[in-house]
Amino acid sequence: MQKSTFMYVTYIRTTPEKLWAALTQPEFTRQYFFNTTQESEWKPGASWKMKAPDGSTTDGGEVIEIDPPNRLVLKWRHELKPELHAEGYSHMTYLIEKAGTAVKLTVTHEMDKAGSKLIEGVGHGWPTILASLKSLLETGQPLEETRQWKGGCKGE
Amino acid sequence: MKKQKLVYTTFIKSTPKKTWDAITKPEFTRQYWAGLANVSDWKKGAKWEHITKKNEVWVLGKVVECTPAKRLVLTWADPDQLKDVSRVTFEIEKVEDLVGLTVTHDNFKAGSKMAGKVSWGWPRVLSSLKSFLETGEGLNIFAGC
Repeated sequence: MQKSTFMYVTYIRTTPEKLWAALTQPEFTRQYFFNTTQESEWKPGASWKMKAPDGSTTDGGEVIEIDPPNRLVLKWRHELKPELHAEGYSHMTYLIEKAGTAVKLTVTHEMDKAGSKLIEGVGHGWPTILASLKSLLETGQPLEETRQWKGGCKGE
Repeated sequence: MKKQKLVYTTFIKSTPKKTWDAITKPEFTRQYWAGLANVSDWKKGAKWEHITKKNEVWVLGKVVECTPAKRLVLTWADPDQLKDVSRVTFEIEKVEDLVGLTVTHDNFKAGSKMAGKVSWGWPRVLSSLKSFLETGEGLNIFAGC
């Protein structure tokens, strides 16, 4: 079957535990993930939601696999833009591994559909978000561009 | 067959000039790029070499295009496999108070071994480059290379 896949690898001077906290806890995501937060009980089968600063749900789904601080797999559907919502669920995986004095983070976002607009959109967003996450963990400051909500997924 | 092409984009709190210098000056590349130096006079048609502290040449090629602080295009080959030549493009763009850096590695020969090697290497090199420019220190993540 044809798929759309986005994959990105970054290396961050931090620990797996700190990276895990930064990926899941609102006080961190607000700083580098366009002022959004993620709500979940963070256990298998739990619902997962990404919230814009006004409280609206931008993306939603559920936790498929969770093994802190190593691996998280989410079922992920966009909720705001009708054409992206209509594509249905994608899968997003965080894989965290130690690498020398740093941590390797691999983000894989895929959908069982060729030419997915959602995957194209997140393909523009992830490099910015992950660059800002790396800056936040290494310098204490995220990249200014990622502090504010900008209406969601670019690139359409 | 689909052609192999590796594209990696990152955003760095730096300036185009500092980012350019970090890519083209050996005293900087040694600090974040597995201890290796990029050596050239960076003029169109000039040769460039990627060399270790012991003066071993790991990668070499020619400068195809050079617009300082903006764009650098190189050919790229292992000195033992000169026919397996590919192309690397560095594009530096100012984005508000940041630099967007995109590295594209393409034009691989059919059956090239280089694409596999550099897909291991570029995320490491460019993560370490970002750390170097933002914190003054590269990453120690090159064991096994």
